[in-house]
Amino acid sequence: MTIIETHDEIVLSLKDLKKSYGTKTVLQGINLDVRRGQIIGYIGPNGAGKSTTIKILLGLEGDYSGSVEVFGEEISEENIEYKGRIGYVPEIAELYDNLTAKEYLTFVGELYGMEFRKTDLKAKQLMGIFGLEEAYHSRIASFSKGMRQKVLIISSLLHNPDLLFLDEPLSGLDANSVMVFKDILAKLASEGKTIFYSSHIMDVVEKISSRIILLHEGKIAADGSFTELKERNKEGSLEQIFNQITGFNESQKIAEQFVSIVQEV
Amino acid sequence: MKDFRSLKVIDLFRGLFERAGVEYPIMRRIVEVKLTMDGRRTPTIFNQQGRKKEKPEENGFMKSLMMYVILSVMLVPIVLFEGNLLFQMSLFFGIVMFIVMTSMISDFSNVLLDVKDKGILLTKPVGKKTISAAKMVHISIYLFFLTAAVALVPIGAGTVRHGLLFLLLSLLCLILMDLFIVVLTAMIYYVILRFFDGEKLKDVINYVQIVLSIMIVAGYQVLVRAFSFTAMEISYQAEWWQFLLPPFWFAAPFQLLMGGEKNVYLLAFTALAVIIPLVSIFIYIRVTPAFERNLQKLNSTGGESRRKERIWKQWMAGAICRSKEERFFFRFADQMMRNEREFRLKVYPSLGMAIIFPFVFMLNDIQINSYAHLITTKWYLSIYTAGMMIPNAVAMLRYSGKYKGAWIYQTAPVKSLAPLYSAALKVFIVNLFLPVYLVLSIIFLIMFGIKIFPDLVAAFVASVLFTAICSNFLKGRLPFSESFADANASGGVKMIAAFLLIAVFIGIHYAVTFVPFGVLLYFLVLLGVTAFAWRYAFRTIWDAH
Repeated sequence: MTIIETHDEIVLSLKDLKKSYGTKTVLQGINLDVRRGQIIGYIGPNGAGKSTTIKILLGLEGDYSGSVEVFGEEISEENIEYKGRIGYVPEIAELYDNLTAKEYLTFVGELYGMEFRKTDLKAKQLMGIFGLEEAYHSRIASFSKGMRQKVLIISSLLHNPDLLFLDEPLSGLDANSVMVFKDILAKLASEGKTIFYSSHIMDVVEKISSRIILLHEGKIAADGSFTELKERNKEGSLEQIFNQITGFNESQKIAEQFVSIVQEV
Repeated sequence: MKDFRSLKVIDLFRGLFERAGVEYPIMRRIVEVKLTMDGRRTPTIFNQQGRKKEKPEENGFMKSLMMYVILSVMLVPIVLFEGNLLFQMSLFFGIVMFIVMTSMISDFSNVLLDVKDKGILLTKPVGKKTISAAKMVHISIYLFFLTAAVALVPIGAGTVRHGLLFLLLSLLCLILMDLFIVVLTAMIYYVILRFFDGEKLKDVINYVQIVLSIMIVAGYQVLVRAFSFTAMEISYQAEWWQFLLPPFWFAAPFQLLMGGEKNVYLLAFTALAVIIPLVSIFIYIRVTPAFERNLQKLNSTGGESRRKERIWKQWMAGAICRSKEERFFFRFADQMMRNEREFRLKVYPSLGMAIIFPFVFMLNDIQINSYAHLITTKWYLSIYTAGMMIPNAVAMLRYSGKYKGAWIYQTAPVKSLAPLYSAALKVFIVNLFLPVYLVLSIIFLIMFGIKIFPDLVAAFVASVLFTAICSNFLKGRLPFSESFADANASGGVKMIAAFLLIAVFIGIHYAVTFVPFGVLLYFLVLLGVTAFAWRYAFRTIWDAH
């Protein structure tokens, strides 16, 4: 079947990607091929290099070594076309919050080369689906965390991208919205979109990812589907696998210490 | 989003931009968004309840321009005066540069140092050229309005007086001056960014901003002194150090082409006026990539920077704070004020002014009489003018860059928040006002002799009283609880009120110096009144919550 063939298409390819800030090495050689339609759960402890990888892929960080190919083309400062096919939800909700949702979203749409009217309509509809039609004309600065996150999510999808980078996209969303969003991701992936999902919430990663990549100290420490990881590590949940691979087994002890200090008063 | 007229003007140059490889519609859109944001203020979420919701679109910047237009009327006589054009125009350019540059540093640093842009714009398929062009256009529009506001009236008057050549030269020189200012500002930031990083860097920028705004004031004094007022006609002697003062460069062409004077200095100055801005633009373009890279340092958090608990501060807290609450609020306010850059940026320059003010007034007297005469007079009372900074600084206490953290006051189980006010004001006096006052006192003691010591002490108590009075500006607002974006840039009315009050203090003090033991009596009365006022304020103004 043709569909299976297109799913073999490599959307993103990292070869021996290294990056350091001064003397601190953040990435120590990442090798990774991502195929179309995959949902990659990109996990790792704080400071493992997750956000750095995503920033390099988006051209926000330079000065790396190794090769980075997106949609089969090496990225560079001059080649910016590929960004038109990428959607991005940053970890820190960076947006021009003095603008209204309408102003911000149409602006982003236009940056992607979309028409104002079309973007406006689309943004309004999407806001409506998230239950925010009332807030469409209000300034983002007055939004709650969850509302901002929804605006960010919408802004990353307006231009119908083929590749999505989501850095902790669920922060601040309520349980119902989380459920909706998870279904949206599954649906998008089945339509052939590739999703790069970075998060600390293991339960969600475990459920939605078709492939999990665990980054530890700038290297890929584990790579495979959840079932594969489970077989290899003989642990029940992704959280436990995560703890095992990153060599963390003191949670109980630390918790006890913490509480005992709390109770001292 | 409304249609910006300034953008329609930019539209005329569309072809030029496109030839340079800029995607014009996108650039236009970015600038439009930036202008929209400039015109708005962040609504303060914390205080949103009980206030009017979205205020009608009002542009704070455009309002502040009106202030500049009014101020610029002051410049008209300088331009109209019959005399040496070099003198007049260097004075004119000196003042214009001062206003434009301080405004640039205090209000526009965030454009030059924007890191948010990168995350939002660079992740989209937008070329770097387009983004840089947008930034350039944004700054140009801002500078255009600012310069126009300051220069329009005097240049208009000058044109009527001196003719079209004057207009032409002025426009040219103002453009060159603006270029110079932008590059100079950016270069200063660049140099700092090269050598420092992260938090340290922001601190350094902060201090440079502060020092620079003070230096420009001082520089302006030098400029005035470059000529002696008594012989205004042609007493100007060209000297090498004038090469260091850019206003002279921009003034030189006027004297050269219109004043009918030709000499090597004037030619050299004129050459500098043209060459330096152009060369600096070239250098700026060359270093921009490195600059942008270094900008990222703004995001990185530096290593650990531990501040030592200062023993004298602890002792001070114990000595001047009565309750336990007040003591820990004192410590809290102390840390907030020392660490918060935005606060420092808004308040420290006025501290610098406070140091300069008393001398500015005295200079006039030296000008007329002599230094020897000055120190026999009662000009030391000008130390009161250091208090000019108090109203604005106190009003600033309610702002914080991290104002959202103010929920802590409400959730914490403290009975009354009045100690917070008194502690914040005490910290203000100890940390900010006292050092300035001490420096001034030492200089004054050296100048006027030890006999003025009681006067200085009395004046200090008066300043404390003045602070308590000014705390009215804080009424109903918690310290550190509002966004700086809501701060009114113009403190015009406050300044005038402060000036009047200070004048009253000086008047009384001047009067009591004629009475035997008058100063001592004055001091004792002040002490009583201050103690009463402080307690009264504690109960009425601060305890309103």
